[in-house]
Amino acid sequence: MFDSLKKKLQNIRTKFASNIEEAAGAEPEQPVAELPEGAEAVESGTPPAPPASAEAPEKEREKPTLFNRVKVLVREREVLLREKDIEEPLFELEMVLLENDVALPVTDEIIGRMRRDLVGRQRKIGSSVDDLVASTLRSALCGVLGEGLDLSRYIREHERPVKILFTGVNGTGKTTTVAKVGHYLQKNGFTVVIGAGDTFRAGAIEQIRTHADRLGIKTIQHQAGADPSAVLFDAVQYAKAHNIDVVLADTAGRFHNRANLMNQLEKIRRVMKPDLVVYVDEAVAGNDAVIRADEFNKAVGTDAVVLTKADMDPKGGAAISVAHTVGKPILFLGTGQGYDDIMPFQPRAVVNELLGDEA
Amino acid sequence: MLDNLGTSLKDAVKKLAGKTVIDRVAVDELVRDLQRALLSADVNVKLVMQLSQAIKQRALEEEPPKGMGVREHVLRIVYQELVRLMGKPGEVALGPQTILMAGLQGSGKTTTTAKLARYFQRKGLRVGVICADTFRPGAYDQLKTLCDRISVPCFGDPNEPDALKIVREGLPKYRRLYEVIIIDTQGRHALEENLIEEIVNINEISHADHRWLVIDAALGQQASEQARRFHEAIGIDGVLVTKMDGTAKGGGALSAVAETQSGIVFIGSGETIEDLERFDPDGFISRLLGMGDLRALVERAEEAVSAEDLDVNAMLKGKFTLRDMYKQLEALNKMGPLKQIMSMLPLGGMQIPDDAYDITSTKMQRYKVIMDSMTPPELDDPSVIGSSRIQRIARGAGVMPDDVRDLIKYYKIMQRALKGMRGMSGGKFNMQRMMKKFGGPSR
Repeated sequence: MFDSLKKKLQNIRTKFASNIEEAAGAEPEQPVAELPEGAEAVESGTPPAPPASAEAPEKEREKPTLFNRVKVLVREREVLLREKDIEEPLFELEMVLLENDVALPVTDEIIGRMRRDLVGRQRKIGSSVDDLVASTLRSALCGVLGEGLDLSRYIREHERPVKILFTGVNGTGKTTTVAKVGHYLQKNGFTVVIGAGDTFRAGAIEQIRTHADRLGIKTIQHQAGADPSAVLFDAVQYAKAHNIDVVLADTAGRFHNRANLMNQLEKIRRVMKPDLVVYVDEAVAGNDAVIRADEFNKAVGTDAVVLTKADMDPKGGAAISVAHTVGKPILFLGTGQGYDDIMPFQPRAVVNELLGDEA
Repeated sequence: MLDNLGTSLKDAVKKLAGKTVIDRVAVDELVRDLQRALLSADVNVKLVMQLSQAIKQRALEEEPPKGMGVREHVLRIVYQELVRLMGKPGEVALGPQTILMAGLQGSGKTTTTAKLARYFQRKGLRVGVICADTFRPGAYDQLKTLCDRISVPCFGDPNEPDALKIVREGLPKYRRLYEVIIIDTQGRHALEENLIEEIVNINEISHADHRWLVIDAALGQQASEQARRFHEAIGIDGVLVTKMDGTAKGGGALSAVAETQSGIVFIGSGETIEDLERFDPDGFISRLLGMGDLRALVERAEEAVSAEDLDVNAMLKGKFTLRDMYKQLEALNKMGPLKQIMSMLPLGGMQIPDDAYDITSTKMQRYKVIMDSMTPPELDDPSVIGSSRIQRIARGAGVMPDDVRDLIKYYKIMQRALKGMRGMSGGKFNMQRMMKKFGGPSR
């Protein structure tokens, strides 16, 4: 999913590198350029003069002992990065991030971090510019993406049944995700029951039921319009009675600005006491992703995030935004219409992929 | 967040106030704030850059028209460019037609299909719906349930995997029986080639009159790309924005409009079947920018207003007569719903009773007719209106006496609201400004 971001980031990286190289190159080059005018006659005789004159002002302050000379040489070879040198590539990076749906505040944060880390940094001419930029960008992205979460391990380490509640706004793909996660857990040797907690949307119970039947997973359902808390409570009871490892609780999509619906979700949480609250959002969502992730987090808490429809969008900036806002690990990426199209999310791997290597 | 952006934009605009020459720095700042506002509303980055360039250029090069301040001038340019970006609202004909719904997974096609069916049904057309979503489990059940609630027939078969077959069977049948036929399709995105091929085929065999793209208000930068591909595949001629009841600003829809050269036809803003509105560009811009007074400003500029129609000072003294209300209603007719007007006034979070807003345009029309049947003394001092006068007015206007009482009640609510405002902090200055705006475009 991160293909385009990856390509762009690599472009930016070379841009940064060349700008920094320029900044580094500017100092020694200037005297060379000026030289021909004033010292044309000397040209043939004293080619090594320019570097000497460039170093001169610094040198004069030190006593020209052998030791100091070596010291200065080392110091002279360092370049101080100024804000001006990286302004243009930073702006470009900002645009790249925005174009890739990284939300504005998150972009600001990343850019700010890059600026803080790069400006005023001294760099030896000999060391690779690429490394510097890559490591700065890497630390900025890693800081934003956080750590992943291994669901299988989590389940093994916790008392069963492990109850997982799925939340999110309308149409992000909660029901489909529940089915996919169910399938994933089955493949990993866990037994699963699904609670059909979306009792509001027409056809939702039929939808989850069909999925579950195809996968051979038991569904606990009431009729449409029933209290979702009751349905999910029953699902937990069923799991306890039948020694089932995991309860997956589907819920109706709701907007974070609807107090009543959020209260209902709160009640569900109170009643079924989930071990994990998984917030589902789509990878194609724009800036609103940040707002609603935050609201859901405030209202019912979020322990992990699933990003769906990652196949729609080769960019995946929302992943960065949501992860940053919620400050919670991304559990899975949904990557297609099949039950197998779900992918555990490993931030380190993603960052490595984005930056192309493991510098 | 939106509030902040709206505020920062307002601050930038404020800096322009009182200047006689356009200040490049202030314009730069305004443009930057506008960029941020639009970007955080998910408008396509390239569009934003184009737009801001255009605004900057016009703001710096064009002479402000006579009598218009720099601030108004720049704001007008901002508004005009935004309107241009947005295009006209898409046309919706109230006649026999076939509509093909297209969109990404989870954008709200099925719900919107039912809402549309309801819309056309209310306009007195016979509507039939075809469910061509053969992939998602429960899709047919969902559409069928929604359609049953409004007694609209729904053609489909949950066990038939071939969407084309359903359309081929259902369409001729429904064409004979119904005027408006809406075809709901499976969610798909532009990278799924076989699904794109499917919708191309559906479009071909259905000869749909309209192909509307459903866009989730929260859709981000991806909107452009998706819209472009859909447009290439089937030729989108209208965009429906859904989920506007959340906090998303719907900037993605703008990108889609720009990409397809079409217009926004409807906006979905709620979970019930009635929650579908025709698109209003001004409301949309207001929401996008988090500030509401752009349109009024432009109108004010264009109509060269004189505020003498409305005796602001008398109103400030608490003398608010039916005559004032009449003018106000006329003004409202031009300016849009009262709630919107109130929202653009610098009153912060002031509470106006909801009853005061609860007035539709037909009602407004009726009120005007009733007031036309009143005598001047009655208009100046409504307290003289007793039951026998009510009878007379009702007969004169051809309405029921209750309608007249209704009007008096509304007048009292307005009067109370205005009195309440007078006591508000912010003092006379705000009040006067507000009143001017109130009466602004009345001529």
